Amino acid sequence: MDAHHQNTSTLSFDALYRESGRDLYAYVRTLLGDDASAEDVTALAFERAYRKRASFDAGRGSQRGWLFGIARNAALDELRRRKRSAPLVADVADDELPVAAEEAETAVRRSTVRVALAALPPRERELIALKFHAGLSNVELAAVLGTSESNAGTRVHRAVMKLREACNAPA
Amino acid sequence: MRQRERLNPNELRELDAIDRALAGEPVDADLSELEDLALDIRASAPEMTPAFAAALEQRVNEGFPTQGQNTPPRQRRRWMLVPAAGVLATVAIALVAVVGPSGNEESTVHETAMSARTEPGAALEDSAPSAAAPPTSTDGSLQRRQSESKSPPMAAAPALTHTGASGSRSTPAAAANPGASAADGAASRKVQRNALLVLEAPDGKVESTADAVIRTVDRFGGIVQSSSIGSSDATGGEASFDLRIPTGKLDVALAALSELGHVAERSQNLQDITGSFSSAQDRLADARAERRGLLRALGRATTSLQIESLRSRLRLVRSTIARLDGQLDSLRRRADLSTVQLTVRGGGKSDEGAAGGHWTPADAARDALRVLEVIAGVALIALAIALPLTLLGVAIVLGVRLGRRRRREGALDAA
Repeated sequence: MDAHHQNTSTLSFDALYRESGRDLYAYVRTLLGDDASAEDVTALAFERAYRKRASFDAGRGSQRGWLFGIARNAALDELRRRKRSAPLVADVADDELPVAAEEAETAVRRSTVRVALAALPPRERELIALKFHAGLSNVELAAVLGTSESNAGTRVHRAVMKLREACNAPA
Repeated sequence: MRQRERLNPNELRELDAIDRALAGEPVDADLSELEDLALDIRASAPEMTPAFAAALEQRVNEGFPTQGQNTPPRQRRRWMLVPAAGVLATVAIALVAVVGPSGNEESTVHETAMSARTEPGAALEDSAPSAAAPPTSTDGSLQRRQSESKSPPMAAAPALTHTGASGSRSTPAAAANPGASAADGAASRKVQRNALLVLEAPDGKVESTADAVIRTVDRFGGIVQSSSIGSSDATGGEASFDLRIPTGKLDVALAALSELGHVAERSQNLQDITGSFSSAQDRLADARAERRGLLRALGRATTSLQIESLRSRLRLVRSTIARLDGQLDSLRRRADLSTVQLTVRGGGKSDEGAAGGHWTPADAARDALRVLEVIAGVALIALAIALPLTLLGVAIVLGVRLGRRRRREGALDAA
């Protein structure tokens, strides 16, 4: 590989990182439920993507979908490892104290969403994370999950409805 | 578990509202709750700590330098060399399978000396082992197989010469001069030698080669006992000869005959007939002694009955003597004249045959064709071996991938 091509490739990967880094972490963190594992898996996913960047085929989907596919495999491997060892209790994020009443209402609402999301089964939680945290389109989501676009939409809708019910359920 | 149910229009509208909310577009008022939920979910996304974000960015900028447990891709992919080695091994096996046999049938000259048959009580003495004389077994049998690409030089012929030198092994000098040793041995031992020689002559050269055979036989004082020459467009013709060559000149005669064409096959057979010869000699001596005794008895006979009886016995003894004389003559002829079955076949190569032709463009084309045939054969065999292995490998890889995918998906259910 010549220097120019390597530089171009690096720049392209850098742009992918800047565009997807935070979303990827959010997805992995939501799926795994703890910061330490999320950081390890996020770093591993980016490293794998970097090493495999030459194998990316634009004809088979977006670069973002490809990256999240790698991250999903790494996260699922982490869940399998965790299954073999002791189960991990999910970290609960510390909510900042609200200043005003309006902000307090929003904070309570979002806290409710977080708790409800954490209580969802992993499959639904993953769908919510891919859709809302990673910001994947239904097409990209279908590519990551290895299913059709319509099936991905159906599953997302059902997961959202479950989450809405959990949020509206009396405490 | 996949859910394949289709969404109804209302659900599709809700899904569309979610997408619009995430895109920052206005949503219908009756779906504002869903819009709020979508925005809240979005806003509740976990964020990297600044320390981790900085560390990750640094690693990205550095191109993820290899460290510790992160083995380079090349090392991790060494297993990929295994199928490559397998393919190479397959090709090598195919090459051996194709080139081995084809190489033999291409230009092989078999020279087989069949077991020398010895009669009971007759021990056959062999030439001393040397480079030109392969070892022979003590019971007088001789096995030799030689493959050569061209007409074999007759320097190898002495190896087939059994000198029969009255209880002593022939010296290296004798081995180097087989004709002389054979002649010397013939004085005390009687050895019958038979040879089979198949020559290949170029197309259209069978008749001229047959003429050369006759001239050669004449040159060595041999006899053409019988011959037949046939011509065929398909096979290029064939000539068969039943030759008698003086045993003392057999080796040089065979050498000269072998130079007349491409030697496709040559074999020699030795048979020690000393026992038969000695036995016939002894019986002849006995018969002669008996005749002398009968003659003496006849001289002393006094009665006609005695005379008649002795004459009758004398007739029988004379008949026996005549028969044994004939047997001895026959055995001498068998020892003195070796039998050579010579066949000249058409269709031989003109380049490598002993005709001394040059390597022509036509020969080059034939060789090139042969090379292509071998390559095609190797490729075919390699394909026949590699294809099932490849299919099996693909099935295994797909199975492993499917299993890994299922195990990963199973982690979601168990989490």
